[in-house]
Amino acid sequence: MTRRMKGALVLAVLAVSAAAVSAAFAAGTAATPGVTKTTITIGGTFPLTGAAALYGVIPKAESAYFQYVNAHGGVNGRKINFKYYDDGYNPANTVPLTKKLVQQDHVFAVYGSLGTEPILATRDYLNKAKVPQVLVATGDSYWGAQYKKYPWTIGFQPDYPGESRVYGAFIASKVPQAKIGVLMQDDSYGENYYNGLVQGLGAAKSKIVDVEKYDATATDVSSQIVKLKAAGANVIAIFALPTQTIDALVVITKIGWKPTTFINNVSASPLFMGLARQNGANVDGDISATYLQDTINNPNTAAAKLYKSILATYDKGADPTDANNLYGVANAWTMVQALKQAGPNLTRAGLMSAMTNMNWVNPFLYPGLKMVTTPTERFPIDQQILEQYSNGAWHPFGHIFSKAR
Amino acid sequence: MRLRAPTVAGIAATVVVAAIIALLPFGLSDYHRSTGATVAVFFIAILALNIVTGYTGQISIGHGAFMAVGAYSTAILTHNHGWNDLATLPVSALIGFVAGVIVGLPALRLHGVYLALTTFAVALAVPQIVSNYPNFTGGVVGLSLPSHTGMWLYEVSWAVAGIMFVVAWLLLRGRTGRAFRAVRDSEVAAASSGVSLAVYKTVAFGISAAMAALAGSLYVLVNNYASPTIFGLTLSLYILIGAVVGGLGSLWGVLVGAAFVELLPLGLTSAGLGSSQSVPVIFGAVVIGVMALLPLGAATLLRAALHFGSQIGQHSDQPLGTEGR
Amino acid sequence: MTALTAFQARTRIRPTTGWIVPLLLVAICVFLVVGSVQSSLFAQQTVSGLANGGIYASLAVALVLIYRATEVINFAQGALATFATYIAWQLLSWGFSYWEAFFATLAIAFAGGFVIELVAIRPVERRGNQLTVVIAAVGLLILVEGAIGWIWGNQVKFMPSAFAPHIYRVGGVAFSRQDLSTIAISIASVGLLWLFFRFTKVGLAMRAAAVRPAAARLVGVRVSWMLSLGWGLAAVLGAVSGMMAAASPSVLLQPSMMDGILIYAFAAAVVGGLESAAGAVIGALLIGVGLNLVSAYISWVTPQLLLPAAFVVMLAVLLVKPSGLFGRTRVRKV
Repeated sequence: MTRRMKGALVLAVLAVSAAAVSAAFAAGTAATPGVTKTTITIGGTFPLTGAAALYGVIPKAESAYFQYVNAHGGVNGRKINFKYYDDGYNPANTVPLTKKLVQQDHVFAVYGSLGTEPILATRDYLNKAKVPQVLVATGDSYWGAQYKKYPWTIGFQPDYPGESRVYGAFIASKVPQAKIGVLMQDDSYGENYYNGLVQGLGAAKSKIVDVEKYDATATDVSSQIVKLKAAGANVIAIFALPTQTIDALVVITKIGWKPTTFINNVSASPLFMGLARQNGANVDGDISATYLQDTINNPNTAAAKLYKSILATYDKGADPTDANNLYGVANAWTMVQALKQAGPNLTRAGLMSAMTNMNWVNPFLYPGLKMVTTPTERFPIDQQILEQYSNGAWHPFGHIFSKAR
Repeated sequence: MRLRAPTVAGIAATVVVAAIIALLPFGLSDYHRSTGATVAVFFIAILALNIVTGYTGQISIGHGAFMAVGAYSTAILTHNHGWNDLATLPVSALIGFVAGVIVGLPALRLHGVYLALTTFAVALAVPQIVSNYPNFTGGVVGLSLPSHTGMWLYEVSWAVAGIMFVVAWLLLRGRTGRAFRAVRDSEVAAASSGVSLAVYKTVAFGISAAMAALAGSLYVLVNNYASPTIFGLTLSLYILIGAVVGGLGSLWGVLVGAAFVELLPLGLTSAGLGSSQSVPVIFGAVVIGVMALLPLGAATLLRAALHFGSQIGQHSDQPLGTEGR
Repeated sequence: MTALTAFQARTRIRPTTGWIVPLLLVAICVFLVVGSVQSSLFAQQTVSGLANGGIYASLAVALVLIYRATEVINFAQGALATFATYIAWQLLSWGFSYWEAFFATLAIAFAGGFVIELVAIRPVERRGNQLTVVIAAVGLLILVEGAIGWIWGNQVKFMPSAFAPHIYRVGGVAFSRQDLSTIAISIASVGLLWLFFRFTKVGLAMRAAAVRPAAARLVGVRVSWMLSLGWGLAAVLGAVSGMMAAASPSVLLQPSMMDGILIYAFAAAVVGGLESAAGAVIGALLIGVGLNLVSAYISWVTPQLLLPAAFVVMLAVLLVKPSGLFGRTRVRKV
């Protein structure tokens, strides 16, 4: 008992001294958190473990690009220090880890954090604290659409409705006899895609003959595919996550159905297409959309070579054919560009100003695409190109769809 | 079977621990205060589980579901109806109580592992049901809640935790507590000595769920966000781990259990032990190790410390028996 | 040996199902057959449901094995199955043929399950109770899933199937060779297990150790070794389930691969009565087919409500028969 009392006293003393120390630190904080003469500290949260851990390679690729930039002099003489934590795709972890980044690690900006729910969970907090939440890795349209309420948040990739609008426009103009069946996830992810498709189809939206939904936790979608075929569809648009997409592609082949197939970009990675093929799916002729550089068909462009050498040097063991790695490098390039444009006198407002005044050609994006934003137009990438699968690879075709939104 | 009267040592220890908890936030950064608030959330949730599992002997693997019920009561009332967040807490407890009684009803017919798996099913089903009604619950997009300072969160959470601790203590030392323990130790014996199994089992579930609902409300206030993913199976399992690691049937063990499940993974992550993949490996190994070395939980150690080892033998708070083998 | 045989005569597990359950099953079979003849859509849904059920079945039987021996629900069963599947993947990538890798994995899984019981579970069981062991199993689940990510990374891997993709057609219904082999291998492994328990001395000793540990000890059975053996066999069944699942297009080989499947296996084992391997298999097939048909024909059951609906059915079964369809009712002691 007396020992406990003593313990309490010790704890109380510790507590008081800790308070004093932290007060002293607080007084010494510089004008812009996370920025010194020689360093910029940024940080993000990613699913390194758990069900979404396949995206865990992205921060490693981003980190590799920052190391490459640091090795070549950094940004305006400052080296980028990128901290990332594992939230397991659970918002209950994202919130405390994001607070840790801001309050303990004193990051300049929260960069690249991944996943719709994690971003939604932290966006109130970061916007209130006026901490930039930039280039978040999710294709939902909230980030660009709700900028008035959340001016410190901005996305990166094309948004889901923008992507499916391209499919809709293509079907309306090029597939006159289309009877469209839609397989979609039963949540806002699927809904976003579906709405975009309807907008893209315009007057041709009556060509949708059946819509089948599945739950994100279900992996088997064979019953939905069977029903779509029974409804007489000859075009199928799959707005799903990779697991269900692969299953859908295999089942389509299995039941002897040969529709024109559209696959959303999230699930169209060469890795997943390969898995579908190895499971017996016939995926030749399937259509998707992309915005990234084609490093597989054109391995000898300057950008493709640089990309591979960065991975080989700073992210050993990374698979350059995994589109997530290319995504990471393209995203990190954008951050570096924004930091450069924000100038040597780096402030958080300055970073947001750079993010909302883009007019850049990102070498890791598909040639001809431009990243353009204005203070009122906050979708960094809104151009895409269709691609068709054949001989084990995607092949871009046709023209760039501009202002897809 | 009478619970002993509070000893001087027990009261002194309570005062000291309460004082430490009250003074601690003044020495913490705002970030660590919100971490402290999360420890309080787990404290309440594990306390709640203890009432139904540790004291009444009904194993629940589904307390995350009751937390979700409370969490969404608070989130919907503040987000959709503009309530003050503190004012939602009593409502949350009430709705939680009703949910607990409903889930407790099958407990009248199901026993042991079948009941446990039923609560497990409830834990898995609730997030699915939440995401099925987006107009009401925000669906997978979730609902945002007002944000507060770490200090506010710490003080409110620990104040609620303190009240719940006292409520649990008063409840368990009296008639109700005796009836709960009688149900736990032998249902047949309890029933034949006049304890109504139906009443006490459902009441135990109701009270426990009410407390878990409060924990859920505080959890979404700390995160200022509610979404189905938060209330997945992991949460229920962590509460169960915390309860058993702390020691079922021990009110003091609850504090240890709460610190264990919230602070150990966080500490391992911050310690930066190699890759992030090593955190679950170490955490899992520690759980197994604790179970092997302290099968009755940390409470064994606490009791030894409090009673200088003399009174452990007479203690009536034996956790779940090995009945059935 | 004679003592054991006498013991066998006394403790033969005779499910007390009466006539209602068999009648119900026959009715369900008739319904499925008639429906399949009437509509090829119905038939297709039934067939793919059976294939899913086959994957749930081996894992459910693994759960039953451990529950029968120790009355513990093994939460780590799915993670262990995933681990075994990664071992198979590793062997294949080192150039072994499919069947070499398959059987080597079964052997490794058996040894692994045996050792895990010895190292992680037995020390806990010796001093603790059922709940302590369940928590240790949860710890094992967290540990093993983390270890998989640590060793092999979180990237999705491709696990080949034993059989080249091929489709058979009967009328308007497509059967893939993969689906058929999944059902066949699952049922074959459960059948082999039944033969082992029914006709071998070790199997008999294991049953004795599970049903009457004290009496078994008296006739010379080393009960604790039987428990380790049980974990080994359960791990083998889990490995079969994992390898079948990973070869199915609806499941990708990644650390969390079996999480969803484990939940349906739990439900299957509970519906079947937790103590009956045959019950678990029937439960698994019912769940596989039932979920497919419900999502195809009952429109108000939205995809999100499918899992809750499965649990409502499970709860309904339990409320009517609190020990599942094939479980034994226990006499409660004071």
